[in-house]
Amino acid sequence: MDINLLVVIKLLVSLTLIIVLVVANSVIMVWLERKMAGFIQRRPGPYEVGPHGIFQTIVDSVKLLTKQIILPGNCDRLLFFLGPILSIFPMFLMFLVIPFSPWLTGLKTELSLLLILAFAGFEGLAVLIGGWASNNKFSLIGAARAVSQTVAYEIPLILAFLAVAFQHGTLDLVAINAAQGAWPWQWNIVTQPLAFLIFLICMFGETNRAPFDLPEGESELTGGYHTEYSGMGFALYFLAEYTSMLLVSFLGTIFFLGGSEGPGGAGVWWTFLKTGGLMIFIIWVRWTYPRVRFDQLLNINWKWLLPLGLLNLWLTAAIMKVL
Amino acid sequence: MIKAIADNIKGLYSLLVGLWVTGRYGLGPFPAWLHLLPPERGYPQLTTHYPRKTIPDENLITFRGPVELIPAEDDPTKSKCISCLMCVKACPSNCLTVLKGRNKAPIEWLHDFSLCSLCGTCVEACPAGALRFSHDIYLVTETRQELVRDLLARLRQKAGKARA
Repeated sequence: MDINLLVVIKLLVSLTLIIVLVVANSVIMVWLERKMAGFIQRRPGPYEVGPHGIFQTIVDSVKLLTKQIILPGNCDRLLFFLGPILSIFPMFLMFLVIPFSPWLTGLKTELSLLLILAFAGFEGLAVLIGGWASNNKFSLIGAARAVSQTVAYEIPLILAFLAVAFQHGTLDLVAINAAQGAWPWQWNIVTQPLAFLIFLICMFGETNRAPFDLPEGESELTGGYHTEYSGMGFALYFLAEYTSMLLVSFLGTIFFLGGSEGPGGAGVWWTFLKTGGLMIFIIWVRWTYPRVRFDQLLNINWKWLLPLGLLNLWLTAAIMKVL
Repeated sequence: MIKAIADNIKGLYSLLVGLWVTGRYGLGPFPAWLHLLPPERGYPQLTTHYPRKTIPDENLITFRGPVELIPAEDDPTKSKCISCLMCVKACPSNCLTVLKGRNKAPIEWLHDFSLCSLCGTCVEACPAGALRFSHDIYLVTETRQELVRDLLARLRQKAGKARA
């Protein structure tokens, strides 16, 4: 790919659109999460700001913008500010290669899955930096948990994606999207049900969402890695959490649920519809299950998901060789 | 090994049951509104939307608010209090002030709610049965002085309201 002005302009435009998408997503999802939490617990949820509280998150973010960032004593100033910034920036890069529809993608490359998986590991590092720089035992324990959890859950997640990549012989998200048909029985969820189940469980571990939200575990760690953060530092970590939710939902949509293909005409609306469905499922699960213990969390991963993922990968490779 | 696998499959089924329960609750009254279910089958919200609706008085009887004086049977403006000061002695927080007047009737009965821990020892100690927990839920004040409640005045006010 030769660098010329047109490519640079295209990258800049798509990055701007991605930032708009990410911010709009977290504004809407925070409201939807609180509303759904309310409904599941049979109370109204946010109600006062705007009709049915739809402006609640906008008011909240204005409040966060005006708040002072309090530095804890003896903290590492540089790393303390670097942590939240590092947690949100790789997210924008990962969205660059997501095909919202076959032609609507920021950067077309044959190794798009590799790029996403490489930058997904960055999230653990950002959390570790934030937790370490806070000079607080709760933050450090939360950060250590986050690292061991994201590293553990990345492996079965990669195995689940690799099985699909083996099946289609490509690491290109656009090609995987295009290889699936319009109807649900032509999607990868039918040919790779075990991989989809592994992905569905790893999704929660990778994004640090309940029931696997041990890095922030309010009951024992007050706030986990973002205990000492206030104002926009906290808001950026929060934004990163909702953005990683959106990212795994997009990946699940493209890999298993047919991406932009769908009955009645393929298009960007199908991608967003299925992604929204997965996001709602993540929220639904959060308000259903209690948090697991840390040894249980790692046992699920190393004793069940990893062997199952390897088995699934081996089976896929054998079947693809035979066929 | 086989038992472990069977246990895990049973566990996955119980997870689905949990999702079914919260899913039904989460949809709330929508199925009834859309006429998918009869109205009595929906799951309406259970909370009271405070500034627009208030809790009816019969649901407040379980609320143990700050103590109040019980009116005497013959005269609702008078208290049953005999000014024995047992409550003042029993109070661990020293929040009661009772001034004895003529004929054992108190002339001043102050309760400092800023000190009170709502332990109920005064209610238990009263030999005349003149004290009880009120069901008063509107406790907000703007100054600390307003937290010192003149219970005799409140009793007279309540009697006047009941007569009117």
